[in-house]
Amino acid sequence: MDALLSGERTAEVIPFSLDAPVLYYPVRHHSPACARHLEQVIARYDPQCILVEGPENANDLLPVLTNPDTRAPVALYYAYRDEGRLLSEGDGEPEQFCCYYPFLDHSPELVALRAAAERGIPGRFIDLGYAEILLATQSARGLRTEAEKQNYASDRYLAANRFQQRLCEKAGLRSFEEFWEKYFETAGMGLSDEAFVRQMNTYCLLSRQNTPEVELREDGCLAREAHMARRVQEAAGQYRRVLVVAGGFHIWGLLHPDPSHLPPRTLPAGAQPVYPMRYTMPAADALSGYASGMPAPGFYAQVWQALHGEQPERAWSDVVLDYLVRTGRRLRRDGDTISAFDETCAFQQAQMLAHLREKPEPGLYELRDAVLSSFVKGEASLSGMGPLRVLGELTTGQAVGQLCDGALIPPLATDFDKKCACFRLLRNAASAQEITLSIFSQSKHRAASRFFHQTVFLECGFARRTKGPDLLHGRDRNLIRESWTYRWTTAVDVALIEHAVSGATMEEACATELRQKMAVAAKAQQGAQLLVQGFLMGIGDVADDLAGSMDRLLLADGDFTSLCQACDCLSTLEEWQTQYGEQGSYDYPALLRRCFARVLQLLPGMNTVDDHGVLGVQQACILLYQVTGRAAFSALRRPLTEAFGRLVRRDPIHPALHGAVLGLLYGSDPAWKKSIDRAIQGYLRGTRNMMLRSAAFLQGLFCTARDLLLVDRDFLGHIDALLVSLDEADFTALLPELRLAFSYFVPMETDRIARLAAELHGARTINLYRAGVDAAAYARAEQVDAWAAARLDAFGEEGDEG
Amino acid sequence: MENAVLRPQAEQRYREELEALRLWDQENRKPQNWLLSPRAVRLFILGSRTPVRCGGQTVTIRKKYLGNDALVERCIITLAGNRGLMLVGEPGTAKTMLSELLSAAISGCSTNTVQGTAGTTEDMIKYSWNYALLLANGPSRQALVPAPLYVGMEKGILTRFEELTRTPAEVQDSLISVLSDKVLNIPELGDDGLLFARPGFNVIGTANTRDKGVNEMSSALKRRFNFETVQPVRDVALEKQIILNEVGALADAAGITQPLDQEAAELLATTYHELREGVSAEGQRLEKPAAVMSTAEAISVYYQTMMTAWYYGDGRMDEGCLVENLVGAVAKESQEDMDKLASYFSTVVREKARREGGAWTRYYQARGQLK
Repeated sequence: MDALLSGERTAEVIPFSLDAPVLYYPVRHHSPACARHLEQVIARYDPQCILVEGPENANDLLPVLTNPDTRAPVALYYAYRDEGRLLSEGDGEPEQFCCYYPFLDHSPELVALRAAAERGIPGRFIDLGYAEILLATQSARGLRTEAEKQNYASDRYLAANRFQQRLCEKAGLRSFEEFWEKYFETAGMGLSDEAFVRQMNTYCLLSRQNTPEVELREDGCLAREAHMARRVQEAAGQYRRVLVVAGGFHIWGLLHPDPSHLPPRTLPAGAQPVYPMRYTMPAADALSGYASGMPAPGFYAQVWQALHGEQPERAWSDVVLDYLVRTGRRLRRDGDTISAFDETCAFQQAQMLAHLREKPEPGLYELRDAVLSSFVKGEASLSGMGPLRVLGELTTGQAVGQLCDGALIPPLATDFDKKCACFRLLRNAASAQEITLSIFSQSKHRAASRFFHQTVFLECGFARRTKGPDLLHGRDRNLIRESWTYRWTTAVDVALIEHAVSGATMEEACATELRQKMAVAAKAQQGAQLLVQGFLMGIGDVADDLAGSMDRLLLADGDFTSLCQACDCLSTLEEWQTQYGEQGSYDYPALLRRCFARVLQLLPGMNTVDDHGVLGVQQACILLYQVTGRAAFSALRRPLTEAFGRLVRRDPIHPALHGAVLGLLYGSDPAWKKSIDRAIQGYLRGTRNMMLRSAAFLQGLFCTARDLLLVDRDFLGHIDALLVSLDEADFTALLPELRLAFSYFVPMETDRIARLAAELHGARTINLYRAGVDAAAYARAEQVDAWAAARLDAFGEEGDEG
Repeated sequence: MENAVLRPQAEQRYREELEALRLWDQENRKPQNWLLSPRAVRLFILGSRTPVRCGGQTVTIRKKYLGNDALVERCIITLAGNRGLMLVGEPGTAKTMLSELLSAAISGCSTNTVQGTAGTTEDMIKYSWNYALLLANGPSRQALVPAPLYVGMEKGILTRFEELTRTPAEVQDSLISVLSDKVLNIPELGDDGLLFARPGFNVIGTANTRDKGVNEMSSALKRRFNFETVQPVRDVALEKQIILNEVGALADAAGITQPLDQEAAELLATTYHELREGVSAEGQRLEKPAAVMSTAEAISVYYQTMMTAWYYGDGRMDEGCLVENLVGAVAKESQEDMDKLASYFSTVVREKARREGGAWTRYYQARGQLK
């Protein structure tokens, strides 16, 4: 393997000479060894200009990356919205694309850019702009594949091909990463710069030879290389010594560019925004599935630091030892019994394994093996793998980056930061935080709640309400506190960047998007829900606009259910306006009246509702009735009862709705009692089919007027007489629905009704509670039990004596 | 044939390879009393791509343990260190074979073994007495009968302890002082009663996770071992290869010259693999039988079928006989297992027979044996 990688022949194909006017330095993203040799090469070559592989539309942002106050991990976020339909066809929403370009302290690209800044020489990106790369890439290939999180700095050409798999098999190594660490990271440190570069070039050239050209073309690789080569040529005309830092896989392509692959056009810079953003170690970990370079970034970041420490030759051993000790300490803190001797054994194991595997120093894989051997006590099952899990967390790292002041951060993100500081919300905690807000008693808490609701509306993934009143779904409205959990992740910054176009502050962005959503809402229900969201976010100044749109929706919407739900939402807002401190934001009662009027118009036509929808209409009727119970709306009671009256006169009418509406009418005027009596008799004495529907009528009636049965003996008598007249088969058929009807009563009421019913049949002292076992049998069983207990006691005593 | 044994020890079976490695290994550094360096032990167990040259001849070192190479490396390093090695895993995952190979390569002796059972006592592990001599001369070194732990310490070789967790807890705990202080106290011998372990001594324990788990080991004893979990083979092609290798060796030893049937090995490897994992290659969900579905069981089913064909038939492996033996191997725990096997045939095997035909069709046609 060493002979293969020494690559004497490759040196002829890809020259590397410090005397050359253009020096090509091959890298792998996030590789400490590449970065370390690069530092040395820069010092020796003393370039006048450094060119780095990276989309060039971010060149204006490079001062932010190289600013001493910027702390890695950071990333560049590239976005492109295909307004011009260059990448897709069709009439739908234009497709959106975005990708990240993460940088760690040990990323060779960042090392190169920082060195250029320190030396005061030009340092810039030379790849096609992000959108041009997309244009040069075929659909569903390269950066255009469907992925949750696209990464510009992907390693897949180096790691995922057949050649590489066979190499690992032959070297007896488990994965490409282990192969890389053995031959490039640990062994690479001992090589001269030239030997290291030769080894890199050999490996990358072999990888390239084993990648079909058609794949390179489809992925846009050839176009990118042609563009980069052109930029290199331009720089070579200007400067005497140009250093080109690019992925090792592309070096051959840079030396042999094919201009025919150059994309035909360029796009204006404004069409593709790019922002610097803070990044986290967990997001930079290749194991998180984003193919963003090497795994365990925390581990390699520490190796990088140790390489710049006092004893760089012991960097690997020291870092492995440090991780063993930290893992041991964490496990002890969590209650495991890991001793110092375990740590000693583990370190010895790591060193001896490195020796056995002919590695110059123990690395990540020896560290993992040592923890597996020495810290895992018992079977390596899911529960036994705690030590490896802890090690995994530690080697990934928890660091969160920091951008310097004055970085081009969207004002929305700045406002978000300001609000976090104002409400004392932690921005740098990697774990979730909890907070409870007394939204009705403290105005600052209500303000924090508004802010949380705004982040939810913008889908930042920052906060989640775990408890508290839910006005949107009408749940838990009795609660007076809100509990939230929140956690900052890189996704929050991404969301803020994406919404940055909507406004400079959280309120402004939410208001703009609320208006946009309202403009496209098709149903009154959606409109009302948006109103509720605006209400919770405390954006009073858009309420007028929204209410105007809401009026339009109320007139246009002919869906009874949707209007009823809108009515519910508006009623909630009207009811809670004062408590939430939103009085004066809008005249919700007026809106509710208009909604009410629309519902009343449609109500009489609901007589033909089916079994599936009847419960919803019942609830709507109850809601309307409750609204008219409030003093401010009492004038609406009359029109409502008139509408109810029209509804019950319709024929046919669903019996459950019939019962419910009659119950409500009885509530407003007891004179309706007669109609109820008549209706129930009609059902029970009607044809068999009508009789079978009487239970549904009772269910509707009891859900709105269950007091009828409790206060009116005559009514009970009627029902009893009617039930008695049924034959057994009919009664059995009715029973399930009757049970449902009586479920509206609380147990005490059921008891009372049963007692009254029993009295009707002359059983004044009837015992409604029938014992499960008769008294004599119970007494006999108790006797047996006592006898057995005595026998057992006696047996125990005998045993003791024996 | 007179000197033939039913199952030759690893050090006998691989004598030629071990000797070649010893010559090859002369320059490498070895832990004290080890016959081979860790690198040569690794080579012995995991095999070498190119034949080893020693003296005038070349010897091919075959790969003997197919599976996790990193696990073997960790085992070797553990044995060179301060702690014992405990191999745990499902039955039939080649723990014993690995322990035997390690002992043969490191100490040249794989027979210094305690077989743990519920009836194992402390004197079976440490030492007992020749009572005639004891009564005649009193306690003396001559009257002492060394047991494997004593032998290992005295000679500086590995002591194997099979099924360690099947022994009573108090017997297990007698290992604690030996593993930590590396000294065995024999109070009967008075001042001469201390046996100090020589370099090269260590203990390889095995425990299977089906019977009594390692959870019942005292934590004091656990601390003195490094644990390695041997997982069942996850790759069907590898499992097939193991079956063929092992059956080939058994057949050679028994003088059966019948060529190995690749198709039958594939049927068995697939059946065992899919039933163990609970999912077929086509993604169908299966009910896992309670019986142990290990590679070792598959080997025994294959070998039985092969012997039937060799002694009673025309030498050709018959799928009917294969299914019959499979039933014998699976029907150990309960009738439910038989139902699970039958439903495996009626779904997965049927599907494979329809799609691939050939041996799978004959295998499916033999399902009558399942009743």
